[in-house]
Amino acid sequence: MLEKLKDWFKGYFTNHRIRDWKENITGYLMIAPSVILIFLFGIMPVGFALYVSVHKWRLKQGRFLGVDNYLNAIGNVTFVVMFFMALGAIVAAYLIIKKIIPEIKENGFKAWLMSIPGFLYFATIALFLRYIWFQLPEFLGIADKLIGQEKTQELFSRLMKESFEVPVVSAAWSYFLWTLIIAILVNIAFNYFFKNTENGKFISKFMLFWTALITGIALIYFTFQEVFRVYEEAMETGTDPGVWPQVITITSGVILLALGWNTWKGANKNTSNLQFFLRLIGATSLLIGAWIMIGEIPIVIASGDKDLWNGLKVTVFFSLGTVPFQLSISMFLAVLLFQKLKGSEFFRMVFFLPYVTPFIASAAIFRQIFANRDTALINLLLRSLGMEPQAWLQESKGIFSILTESMNFSIPDWATGPSLALTVIIIHSVWTYVGYNTVIYLAGLGNISTDVKEAAEIDGANKWEVFRFVTFPLLSPTTFFLSLIGIIGTFKAFATLWVFRESLALGTANTFSVAIFIEFFEKLRYGYASALAFVLFGIILILTYVNNKVQGSRVFYG
Amino acid sequence: MAEITKSNQNKNKKAVSYQNMAKLFIYIFLIFGAFISLVPFVYMISTSFKTVGEALGASFFPKSLQYENYVEAWERALFSRYFLNSLKITGISLIGSVTVSILAAYSFARIKFPGRDLIFGIMLSTMMIPAMVTIIPNFLTVTWLGRIMPIQWINNWPALTVPFMGSVFNIFLLRQFFAQIPDELFDAARMDGAGHFRFLMQIVIPLSKAPLMVILVLTFMGSWNSLAWPLLVTSTPDWRPISVGLLNFIGEAGQEFNLIMAGAVISIIPILIIYFFTQKQFTESIARSGLKG
Repeated sequence: MLEKLKDWFKGYFTNHRIRDWKENITGYLMIAPSVILIFLFGIMPVGFALYVSVHKWRLKQGRFLGVDNYLNAIGNVTFVVMFFMALGAIVAAYLIIKKIIPEIKENGFKAWLMSIPGFLYFATIALFLRYIWFQLPEFLGIADKLIGQEKTQELFSRLMKESFEVPVVSAAWSYFLWTLIIAILVNIAFNYFFKNTENGKFISKFMLFWTALITGIALIYFTFQEVFRVYEEAMETGTDPGVWPQVITITSGVILLALGWNTWKGANKNTSNLQFFLRLIGATSLLIGAWIMIGEIPIVIASGDKDLWNGLKVTVFFSLGTVPFQLSISMFLAVLLFQKLKGSEFFRMVFFLPYVTPFIASAAIFRQIFANRDTALINLLLRSLGMEPQAWLQESKGIFSILTESMNFSIPDWATGPSLALTVIIIHSVWTYVGYNTVIYLAGLGNISTDVKEAAEIDGANKWEVFRFVTFPLLSPTTFFLSLIGIIGTFKAFATLWVFRESLALGTANTFSVAIFIEFFEKLRYGYASALAFVLFGIILILTYVNNKVQGSRVFYG
Repeated sequence: MAEITKSNQNKNKKAVSYQNMAKLFIYIFLIFGAFISLVPFVYMISTSFKTVGEALGASFFPKSLQYENYVEAWERALFSRYFLNSLKITGISLIGSVTVSILAAYSFARIKFPGRDLIFGIMLSTMMIPAMVTIIPNFLTVTWLGRIMPIQWINNWPALTVPFMGSVFNIFLLRQFFAQIPDELFDAARMDGAGHFRFLMQIVIPLSKAPLMVILVLTFMGSWNSLAWPLLVTSTPDWRPISVGLLNFIGEAGQEFNLIMAGAVISIIPILIIYFFTQKQFTESIARSGLKG
């Protein structure tokens, strides 16, 4: 027996294998520092923020709140989102199982048998998360216990040990550990009994399946529980929270939207005119129906947090005001610079200058130029053109209402546009980023082969036509990239907006990020601020997805 | 025949004048753009030399240059301290980040180990996460670490530098560059008995001056620009960087715009110097990194 083992060892650890292992270990060791840092300050915080966001947390951890923070922020949309996430998880589980079962049958195994180790691994993960759930507050408590005491290694390790020995925690840990051991043993047994190279793949797929399925079911259960809780609370005050109608309306709105989008896309493929029109009409009516139902979302969100709703509006204005101008100006400049005239290097450097300037300094300059004084640079310019000086950064009125007021007619509230204060910030943002976008457009122009352009010119196209039908479409990947970066950037923007913040602008320039930071930094509501941050994250994800869908299909990669 | 040549000449003349016109228009637009880009800078410099009264007044240029503004801003805003702080913060995070990123980038580019692409993908996906999500838990983590460790984290260099040492962007940039180094070089080095580490130190790093320069400039810009995080983790001037210093000074100086502008000039100068020296590599690698997305 021992001889056999020795032989196996010798056979296994050939020089080749040893070298491979050395190589692998070198690889892991080299990425270890960055993996640890990125996990600690980049990945773990997401889970931690989720944990914070379901608690009452002002400076210190308070009681568990469930989804209350989210309900305060975006109202009943919370339930819709949870419901959709649950549905998504269950659909994902279904798709996985649909794909995996035929493959298993091909190999002649029983599917339910193969799902056992997958389930055990899922259980391990779930139990580990449960352990973290109990352990985290104990860990966090250590820091408080250390206040006022001398920090010694002994004291710290004693407190660590104590935090682990709390009955709930150590029980959770042992559940996790035993399940892990059982899972590994079962896995080994499976590999022994069912010899198959694809076992690992099946097991990991089943693990995903169980995770998706059980998360989905748990989410549905949790959603229902929370909805019933809301109804119970409402019963006492005698109001109708109206969750169910809203959930149903919005859900069917989204389904209609998806259907309409599909019909719309299908309409392009159909050859028969009649069919084309029928489809077009169908798609339009579906989309209109969807729009009416989805229109419920803003109403629901608006009934949530006023600051957040305001921040959302400001951010949308900021994004819409910045990105299109930025892109068109920089594309124009790039095309001009690409003519390679004398001095274009110099111009490129000058256009890039605002981007390298520290934001805070350039914001300080803009505050000076757009100050609320008759002698501020911009007001001097306005006066020399015979116009009224404005309050700029301290003006909360919308830009369109100011423009129309000077022409003596008033416009409805919804059409007032971004406030003048926000307009200044938009100008600053465009000024800053035009150079950066120009440089990237220049690189994009450099990638277009001259053959295509020459061919077009030989065919008799003039300069404008060459630009319109050759250069512009071939630049679409760059435009796509820059618009994505621009939209996400405006949603994330913080530093400049914070510098520009003036109390007299009545919060009309407080974007979403600023609203979050105020909750966190000034009001010290960590839990609520975390919930808001997650809402922002969700919006960025949806925007990225929609941008990819809508624009991605039009990008022409040459 | 003669007529044809004549009409051709005419056509050429027309084309030349048309081209000249087009050139003229292009220059007009470019100069206008440059004007818009530069006016704020000119205004900043001219205001920084004004008296308080002039800064509030209507004239664009000062009557006489007030050099004292710089001395006063420098002293009142504690700029000497903030400058040094920012330099120290940039230096520490650069050393940490470059070391960590070079190792990881090399490993991702040139060593094949199980799970490599998965780990790299997960790392890249963290770039999607907005800073506002991570800032709260990171603040809690840093506070906690500062309480349990013998070294203070808040109001000290660790809080300001350690969280930024694992920079996904730097790793990505370097990995793209390292992956382009030809395999023949590595094989030759291996023939001579060099391992990964020696290859990295003696061949890869000397070859990667351009991306390292970009990382230098970007880290510098980042620490000169970052506001939210230093605002959170510095409550005393001891380690406060220049961004927070300038922001505080803007609030403090109130109506003394000449001093604020002098402060802005002071804070801009170092980054402009670095930019002018690395201008070419910098714009080029921005363009390249942008195209690859």
